[in-house]
Amino acid sequence: MIAWSSVTLDNLYVQNEADKAHRQGCISTETQEAIRKAHPVDLYTPNPVIRVGLFLLTAIVVAFTSGFFLLLALSSDTPTGFRVALILASLLCLGVLEFAISQKRPYRSGINEALLWSAVGLFCCGIFIENYDMSESAWALTVFILTVLGTLRYADMVSSAVAYLSFLLLVFWQALKIPYSTAFMPFLLMGISLAVYLISSRLVKRPALRHYSDCFTLLRVLSLITLYMAGNYYVVRETNSMLFMPDNDTGIPAGWLFWALTVIIPPLYIYLGVRKKDAVLLRTGVILIAMIVFTIRYYHSVMPLESAMALGGLVLTGGAWALIRYLHTPKNGFTYAPSDESGMADRLKLESLIIAQTFPPTARPADTHPNFGGGSGGGGGASGDF
Amino acid sequence: MNIDTFSKLQKEGLISDEEMQRVTHAENNRLFSLHWEIKSALYLGVLLLSGGLGILVYKNIDTIGHQVILLFIALLCIGCYAYCFRHRAPFSREKTESPNAFYDYALLLGSLTFVTFIGYLQFQYTVFGTAYGLATFIPMVALFATAYYFDHLGILSMAVTNLAAWAGIAITPFQILSQNDFGNENLIYIGVALGIGLVALAELSEKRNFKKHFAFTYRNFGVHIFFIATIAAMCIFEKWFGLWFLLLAAGAYLTWHRAFRDHSFYFVLLAVLYGYVGLSILLGRTVFNHLADDIYSGFLYMIFSTVGVIMFLIKLNKKIKQQ
Repeated sequence: MIAWSSVTLDNLYVQNEADKAHRQGCISTETQEAIRKAHPVDLYTPNPVIRVGLFLLTAIVVAFTSGFFLLLALSSDTPTGFRVALILASLLCLGVLEFAISQKRPYRSGINEALLWSAVGLFCCGIFIENYDMSESAWALTVFILTVLGTLRYADMVSSAVAYLSFLLLVFWQALKIPYSTAFMPFLLMGISLAVYLISSRLVKRPALRHYSDCFTLLRVLSLITLYMAGNYYVVRETNSMLFMPDNDTGIPAGWLFWALTVIIPPLYIYLGVRKKDAVLLRTGVILIAMIVFTIRYYHSVMPLESAMALGGLVLTGGAWALIRYLHTPKNGFTYAPSDESGMADRLKLESLIIAQTFPPTARPADTHPNFGGGSGGGGGASGDF
Repeated sequence: MNIDTFSKLQKEGLISDEEMQRVTHAENNRLFSLHWEIKSALYLGVLLLSGGLGILVYKNIDTIGHQVILLFIALLCIGCYAYCFRHRAPFSREKTESPNAFYDYALLLGSLTFVTFIGYLQFQYTVFGTAYGLATFIPMVALFATAYYFDHLGILSMAVTNLAAWAGIAITPFQILSQNDFGNENLIYIGVALGIGLVALAELSEKRNFKKHFAFTYRNFGVHIFFIATIAAMCIFEKWFGLWFLLLAAGAYLTWHRAFRDHSFYFVLLAVLYGYVGLSILLGRTVFNHLADDIYSGFLYMIFSTVGVIMFLIKLNKKIKQQ
């Protein structure tokens, strides 16, 4: 089912574990070498920078190839010509991907992702183009089937994410057809999300499904997010007013329940994450705190934005400072020290680039050097042109 | 680390009992690291705080409240710098380790509030006169001084983008293409000069062994702005694009040469990609313009040449790994 041989993938896992143990000083360099020799890996997996480069280049090739096919199809007047061209291009991508894997065994190389995603995308375009009477459910079902197949064969994380989201959409469109479905829709979606979370939390540990563990981890994150979103006041209210009563946007029945869900779920995730020492629960909960702030601010103007920003900043910085002091010596199994996983982010000085991006320089007034834009004031520092 | 995997390895005789014990011990005493959570919280906090305060000052400019806010900003700035002075490691030409992440972000907050302060003084009292260059020049100097004195890469990156803004060009990653009007010839000259200057700075800091680890940041910004400026030049100059191509090719060759010496595949990738784009533009302007079926041949050229570049990169990657 999976495109690479299971033995090689296992060996890759063993090598990675050995590297980790070596970094922590548990095993010697000779042992690491011996493990590498005994568990050889013949896959081509470049580092993230090259992966991005190869992804972009492959995407360019695919774009020009399908463009070339479309150019040839221009002469036919019917949409059938375009459809054939798109589906041919999609099949070609898939063929090249299979051929490359059988010959050079690229694995997470950037080429794989580019070819797989464009194969799925082109196939969908080929089906949907000029196809006006297709229902939304059929749409979602097509995407779901294609991405599930892609996930099974290539263990691709993005495919599994799209598959899950299209599955939720499919359920949503189908449930809409049932009378009075709006009343239980949030709970239906929350129930499905919870089920998917529990199932993938189980399956992620299954040895038989070990090659898909990354996909299941992503599914865990996504299902936690959709579980929250389905009960979030903003999402429920806006979806309701958009779909069912466009001219009557006053509120939703049982609004208090959704307010409660909005405010309670993220702290609950964080609490469970801390108790179980589960990074997925903890980080998802932290991110969703932002959604609480957004939801409350959208309906109630508690204070002006800039004061809220300054105050929030103070709280966050102060909280981080307190945590660092508290964890000065590790407590309750938590530490402040970085974990051993050093990565590409460090070598490329990603943090400094993010800082430079989000704190742009003060804008240069235009009158000294005409034509020069300089950096705009953005949101960061104080710029002269406020 | 997965204990099952290691006990299998032990059965295969690949790791010794002692090593197995160490692995089990490390795994059982593993701590849950909150490093990234705390770092993200600090980053977001500084972002929100400096942004919020910056807006607050300008919104309240006509009220009494704005002096309170100014005072608050000044105190915050002084407080941050004071904290960093107390906790900093002694100055060294080498890389110094920061005591903790809070120190890094306190320094960042301090320099940001300082820049806000200067911006305010200029806005309200035009302290630096109408020579507007000074209003970007002084923050730049302050940022460079802070970056070198306290050894902070993030502030160095901000200083470099400020230097570029002072010269009249935007080089923050997402604005380098959107904010610059490369149709302007002056901007291209500035870009090329700035690029060469930054790479020269990188070389200098390595050669003189003065804050060697800053070289990557300088070179990264310099290489990108140089190539983008020369590529823009190849597109807009009607007659001299051949000459600009030679400049680009020379730059690509030097970057390539240097990257091989440093074993840095990142810069090899940049040299190949930018060189390839330059070559394609040259071919487009000289050859494909004059062919009969230019669109078909152009498409075919793009397809086959890009496939060629992909294969070339994979080969190079394997070669560099083996070295």
